[in-house]
Amino acid sequence: MSGLKLRGIRKSFGAVEVLRGIDLDIEDKEFVVFVGPSGCGKSTLLRLIAGLETISGGELDIGDKRMNDVDPSRRGIAMVFQSYALYPHMTVRENMGFALRFAGVAKAEIDRQVTEAARILELEPLLNRRPKELSGGQRQRVAIGRAIVRHPQVFLFDEPLSNLDAELRVHMRIEIARLHKELATTIIYVTHDQVEAMTLADKIVVLRDGAIAQVGSPLKLYDDPDNLFVAGFIGSPKMNFLKGIVDGSVVRLPDHGNQTIPLVAKAAHGSEVTVGLRPEYFKAGGASQLDVTVEMVEHLGSESYAYARHGAGDVLTIATQNDRELKGGDKLSARFDPAKALLFDPAGQRIR
Amino acid sequence: MNALALARRPLVYVLLSVAAFVSVFPFYWMVVGATNKSADIVTGKPSLGDSLFANAATFFATVDVARIFWNSALIAVVGSLLTLAVSSLAGYGFEMFRSRFRERLFALMLLLLSIPFAALMVPLFVMISQAHLTNTYAAVILPGIASIFIIFYFRQATKAFPAELRDAARVDGLKEWQIFLYIYLPVMRSTYAAATIIVFMANWNNYLWPLIVLNTADMKTATLIISALTSAYTPDYGMILFGTVLATLPTLIIFFLLQRQFVEGLLGSVK
Repeated sequence: MSGLKLRGIRKSFGAVEVLRGIDLDIEDKEFVVFVGPSGCGKSTLLRLIAGLETISGGELDIGDKRMNDVDPSRRGIAMVFQSYALYPHMTVRENMGFALRFAGVAKAEIDRQVTEAARILELEPLLNRRPKELSGGQRQRVAIGRAIVRHPQVFLFDEPLSNLDAELRVHMRIEIARLHKELATTIIYVTHDQVEAMTLADKIVVLRDGAIAQVGSPLKLYDDPDNLFVAGFIGSPKMNFLKGIVDGSVVRLPDHGNQTIPLVAKAAHGSEVTVGLRPEYFKAGGASQLDVTVEMVEHLGSESYAYARHGAGDVLTIATQNDRELKGGDKLSARFDPAKALLFDPAGQRIR
Repeated sequence: MNALALARRPLVYVLLSVAAFVSVFPFYWMVVGATNKSADIVTGKPSLGDSLFANAATFFATVDVARIFWNSALIAVVGSLLTLAVSSLAGYGFEMFRSRFRERLFALMLLLLSIPFAALMVPLFVMISQAHLTNTYAAVILPGIASIFIIFYFRQATKAFPAELRDAARVDGLKEWQIFLYIYLPVMRSTYAAATIIVFMANWNNYLWPLIVLNTADMKTATLIISALTSAYTPDYGMILFGTVLATLPTLIIFFLLQRQFVEGLLGSVK
C-alpha cells in the first residue's frame, strides 16, 4: 500500500508562507499531477514529500507511516529532477546503481537491477557513457532509470520534460505514461504544462498561491471547474470570460449589446456574474448567439481559432472546424448552447 | 579603419611586449645566471655560460639539499592538503547552508583580508610559542590552513554547483559529508586544481612566517636557506641562482600538470 495522505501541510521560508494548509489523499498506483502557475508552491510541495525541505506544519503519511521527519532515502520515494541531476563524473551504469551501492546492495544484484532498468528504458548501449555524451532525452531516461532501480513506492517527477524540445517532450510523455502502466506505482508529477497534466494524470491537483484550487480528474476539471482560476488555467486556448448581469431568469451581457442568455444556475436578480464559454462551445445550431467582428484567425489545419470582439468588448476565442475562408474583418454570428455556459460569482466561485 | 584604430594596434603590441619582458626577464636572468660565474653575473653578462656544473657542485656542497627540499615539500604538500580540505569545506558550507547570519559572517571574514600579515605576526607568534610549537612544521602550516581567499574562491565556485545534484544525492541516501566527498569533490576537480596551484605556490614560496617560527638549520625550508646565502660577505650568485632554479622546479611541475584544469577552474568548473 503506497498511497499518500497530506493533512494541513504548511511551509514557510522565514515570514513567507509558501504552502497554506494542503489536504490531499493520493491513492496507491495513482498518477497525480500538481499543476499551477510559477510560484504556486507545487515544486515546494513535491520537495516536502521527498523530504528535501522540512515541513513547517501538518502531517505527511506515505503508505500509512508518518514521514514528516524521515530521511529522504528512507521514505520509499525516488525523484526525477528537471535538470536530470545526473552525477557528471559517473557513467550511466554508475549513476543508476549509485543509490543501491550506498544502500549496501551486493554488486551482482546492482548489476541485475541496472540491466533490467536499462532494458525497460532501452538504455543498454549507453551504459558506459557519461552524461555529457548523451542527448537531453537520453539523460532524462537515465534519470528515470536511476529512479526505477530503487523500486520506490512513489515516483516524484519535478517538471521532468521542461528542458526537452517539443517533439521529444511528446515522445517522453508517452514513455512516462507507458512506464506508469508497466511499473504500476504511485507517481506524483509536477508541471506547469497543462497538456502534460491533462494527458498523463488520473488526478490533477491545481495549486494557486500555496493552496489547492481544485482536485479532480482531468475531464472533471475541464468540464466542471469549481472556480474562475481553474476554469481559466485548464484548457488551451483559454476559456472566454464574459461580464454578465442577472436579470430575472436571464443573464444580460452588457459588452455584447445587452444580448441575453437563459440563466442556468441560481443567482440573485441584479447580481454581477462572469459567464465562462470554452472556445469549442461555439457551434452551429446553438440556441444563443453573439454577434462579433473577427480580428484575426489562426488556421491550425484540423481547426481554426477566430479572435473576435463585439464593439470595444474583450476579445473572444472561437473555435471553428470548417471555416477555412474566415478572415479578419468578417462579421460572425457565433452560436452556442447556453446550457453549457458556466457562471461564476464576483469572488470567482462557480454558481451551480 | 580610422587613423586612431590604426595607431592603436602597434601601441597595444608595444605595451604587451613591455609587460611580457617584465614578466619573463627575471626567469631568463635566473636561468642564465645559473650557468655563469658570479663575476660574470655582476658585470651583467646576458648569455649562457659554462659554469652550470660548477655552480651545482658548490650548491650541493654548501647546502644540505635533501633536507631543505624535504622540509619545503613536507610543509607545502601537507599545508596545501590541509588548506584545501578546511577552506573548501568552509566555502561549501557558506554556500550550501542557509542561515540568518551567513552573509554578515562572510562579509566580516572578507574584511579580515584587509589586515596585513605583518599586523598578525606578533600575536600569531605568541600563540605558537605558548602552544610550544615553535620550530616545528605545524608552526608553519597551522596559521595558513583556513585561508580566507581560498574559502572565498570555493564559495564563489560552489555557486555554480547544481543544487539538484545535492538533492539527488540526498534522495540516494548520502549524508552531507558523503555528498561532499563523493559528489562535490569530483565534480569540482577543476576548482581544486586551480586552488592547488595557488595554495602550493603560496606554501612553497612562503618566506616571512617560516623565517619567524623556524630557527634551526635542520628545519628550515629551501626559500629560507637560499635567501640566507645572499648574506655572505661575497655572495656566490651563480650558486644562488642555481639554487633558485632548483627551487622553482616543483611549482613549475605542479603548474604544467594542472594547467588545463587551472584555466577551467578559474573559468568555473561545472559544465
